[in-house]
Amino acid sequence: MTKVFRKSTGLALTAMLSLSLAACGSSSKKSSDTAAPTEAAPASDAVAVTEAPAAAPVTDAAGAAAPVTDAAAATAPASGAGISLAVNPWTGSAVNAHVAKVILESKLGTPTKLVDIDENATWPGLDSGQLDAVLEVWPSGHAKDKATYIDGKKTVVDIGLLGPKAKIGWYVPTSVLDAHPELATWEGFKDAAKAKLFATAESGDQGQFLMGDPSYVSYDEQIIKNLGLPLKFVVAGSEAAEITAIKQAVADSKPLLLQFWQPHWLHSKVKLTEIKLPAVTPECLASAAAKDGKYACDYPVDDLFKAASVKLEAKNAAAFNFLKKFQLTTEQQNEIAAMVDGDKVAADVAAKTWVDAHADVVSSWIS
Amino acid sequence: MAVAVGAERRKVAPRGTVMLAGIVACLGIAGKVTLARHVPTWLDFHVTHWVDKRSEWTVLHRGTNWFFTKISNPIAHALSSSYDAISWLLRTLRWPGVLAATFAIGSRTGGWKAATAGTVALAGCGVLQLWDHTMSTLALMIVAVIVSLVIGVPLGIWAGLNDAADRRMKAVLDAAQVMPAYVYLLPMVVLFGIGTPPAIVATVVFAVAPAVRLTSLGLRSVPVVASEVGSSFGCTKRQLLFKVQLPLARRAILLGLNQVIMMGFGVIVIAALVGTGGLGLDVLAGLQKVDVGRSFVPGLALVFTAIMLDRVTTGERSVARKSRFSLPPRMRRFRGLFSPLSVSVVVVVAKLLNVKSFPTRLTVDLAKPVNQAADWAQRHLRKGVPLVGGTGPISDFVVRDLLNPLRSLLTNRPWWVVVAVVALLAWASGGAKLAVVCTACLTGIAGLRTWELAMDTLSQVLVAVLISLALAIPIGVLSGRSDRVERGLRPLLDAAQVLPSFVYLVPVIFLFNVGRVPGIIASVIYALPPGIRLTSLGLRSVPISTREAAVSFGATPRQELLKVQLPLALRSVMLGVNQTIMTVLSMVIVAALIGAGGLGLEAVYGLTHGEIGRGVSGGLSIVALAIVLDRITQAWGNRSNT
Repeated sequence: MTKVFRKSTGLALTAMLSLSLAACGSSSKKSSDTAAPTEAAPASDAVAVTEAPAAAPVTDAAGAAAPVTDAAAATAPASGAGISLAVNPWTGSAVNAHVAKVILESKLGTPTKLVDIDENATWPGLDSGQLDAVLEVWPSGHAKDKATYIDGKKTVVDIGLLGPKAKIGWYVPTSVLDAHPELATWEGFKDAAKAKLFATAESGDQGQFLMGDPSYVSYDEQIIKNLGLPLKFVVAGSEAAEITAIKQAVADSKPLLLQFWQPHWLHSKVKLTEIKLPAVTPECLASAAAKDGKYACDYPVDDLFKAASVKLEAKNAAAFNFLKKFQLTTEQQNEIAAMVDGDKVAADVAAKTWVDAHADVVSSWIS
Repeated sequence: MAVAVGAERRKVAPRGTVMLAGIVACLGIAGKVTLARHVPTWLDFHVTHWVDKRSEWTVLHRGTNWFFTKISNPIAHALSSSYDAISWLLRTLRWPGVLAATFAIGSRTGGWKAATAGTVALAGCGVLQLWDHTMSTLALMIVAVIVSLVIGVPLGIWAGLNDAADRRMKAVLDAAQVMPAYVYLLPMVVLFGIGTPPAIVATVVFAVAPAVRLTSLGLRSVPVVASEVGSSFGCTKRQLLFKVQLPLARRAILLGLNQVIMMGFGVIVIAALVGTGGLGLDVLAGLQKVDVGRSFVPGLALVFTAIMLDRVTTGERSVARKSRFSLPPRMRRFRGLFSPLSVSVVVVVAKLLNVKSFPTRLTVDLAKPVNQAADWAQRHLRKGVPLVGGTGPISDFVVRDLLNPLRSLLTNRPWWVVVAVVALLAWASGGAKLAVVCTACLTGIAGLRTWELAMDTLSQVLVAVLISLALAIPIGVLSGRSDRVERGLRPLLDAAQVLPSFVYLVPVIFLFNVGRVPGIIASVIYALPPGIRLTSLGLRSVPISTREAAVSFGATPRQELLKVQLPLALRSVMLGVNQTIMTVLSMVIVAALIGAGGLGLEAVYGLTHGEIGRGVSGGLSIVALAIVLDRITQAWGNRSNT
């Protein structure tokens, strides 16, 4: 054991020696580092200093984003503390955040960090002030967070609608409807023989209804039960698993019924058609709120909204006002998302291209 | 030896357990009296409600209560500062410096072979174009591994020297290992904020178990003779520990370090959910787009990083002591090459030459060929394969003829019948006390209101454990008896343990249909390495003199294996069985993310819908299942040893 100890002292010595030498090296080279625009590390270091001590480390979705921070900090007068925006794991969310970042840094002189984070972990982050804002919240999945943080604890504020609307629904591959046009509405599935077309090993004798990520909102079990459909509710477990199941079904030209939504990048690759469910009624929405298990209609349209930490306004009023005014239409968001998903352009580059081409829209947000 | 342990265990019956036994007996009788098929509604511990209330309180008082300002915030601060310091160091060294330091450290601990392996593996991350993200993941892992060892090794020493501590700790470790990281990751965000601190804490909670277990196992496997010789020469207890027992337990402790590293990497992908970035984020981003190549490449970088950390820290394990510095004589003059000075020289030269990111000329893009390979497999293996019919039919067979009958066997019986059968099994293998423990655990599951889900999960876990053991023990025996097999297996096992299951999710689902089978496949892949490693470790720990004695008495190789080596290795093999069960159960959540349903789905659902209580109920039920399965198999192992 002593031998091991001696060895570890040696290791520690090694580490300390190289550390001190490296420190000398870096301090003497500091000036050249800041001059070199592609050196990402010192730039992000400088930003991190202004942040709260326990702030999360940041990954710029594209490594090349840091130099922008550097340049902005150097040219524009620093008009406020740096802020951090949440990026949730879907393209739309990344598009909003990158567009906002470009404008915050180039027009408002606000260094902006983007933090890639799960949508449920976003709310405690906003609550503690480690995150300043999130620009795309799907209300259907966050009723409880809204009640806890916006209405209850009042540490998070609703800063208005983002613009695009979202819609969850029941989908089948369009090719299924070519052979069975009567399946275009929910009534078609009342026929047990038709429903059985969708049977798999997991669903046994009944047709299978596939749900994706269990964290997403779902009334499907209630809808199936209350409309009396001979379907079995199966959870794929994740969006990726669900999409794989779709691709598999399309490859085998087998029928598949599932919960899916608009907007989603998959719609540009696979033709899916939404099934008509009973129209949304006030009673239906009331039963959703009451959680009484009597939900039996289509999903309501989701108005995506933005939320910010209550501390943001005091910390950086200009940034707060900009984020409040910031809005994208569905078309605008899709346009940038298409660059990212379709043409494989890095999100920060796509955002910058779009901002440069739409000076009028951008100026309406910051005036 | 095992007899003694078994007897000891049966002798000590904590009073709490006896009381619990009484309560459980009453509940059992009540259940039989009412003869209800389903769990009666009054049997409800209201855990869900209680946890919801607690978590609501935590959310409301975060930032004001002393607990946050005095305890969790300083911890979070310390963790993120150490992370920042290490990632600053890695950035300042730049890639040539990091590689040089890897080689320097590796050559000191494991000789030039380990150093080369580690350096090449790490350089591989650069070749995959992921150097920067690898460094942030590496910094996270270094902090997590150090914290795990600082906590785990002393606890392991305590557990190794003290039977009572060992028993208590075992239950806690089971819980820590099986309670899915997913369950406590989000609550930890409430405690420690977002970013690195909750990620490191979650990694430590999950990875500390093998450090404790294997340190304890190592101390307990020290031959009594060695300790007695030490004592008779007048060692103090302290000297005995540091000069005799710990050095003799070194092999096991180093395997513990290896397992800490491997398990830590298992959590790192999920850690990306709370904003840590790094390679985990890349894996998830690829998954988001259902792009096999895009998530495979960062997954491979994770494997490389794990191999690097493992070789550099535990290289010594595989290298015999004398060959550690066996540089060829001519090279020996250049040993200074590996010294701190030369690392510093590399760093300064890199600075002067202004070497920045990893040279793009050296990089390769693996994503495309990986996608092509996956496409090929998806097109050709699904059906129409001669004899077996393809993966699609196999999957349907497993669901229809294996999983469904087993599940209906478990769920269609009245719940108390299942409890009674398990209790009988437990009694037969480990005596009355074990029967009480198992009854308590299963009744606990009923009281958590997760009975049906638990039986669904149990049916899948049983299948996965059986498949894992059927593969792991024979492979472990092979690897324990042949150095060549062990060397060849090592990188494969590392990869199986570290490569996030999300990486092969897409092809596996495409091949085996969405549902329970992909989950079982992922569990088996993940559970094989600990079983194989511990079986092999056990065989290798059998003293060579004992084996030679057997051979000299005329034992055939087969007899020597079955009558001498395996029985003597049983303690380690049973730890392997324990780890297999724990690992399969720890995969229940991940399996739920690829369609397994059951308790895992319940936990994920609860946590992500803000119903923390439901999540915790699901998690606790998984732990209860783990205790039942583990204790019965362990007792059975001990008994068959007597």
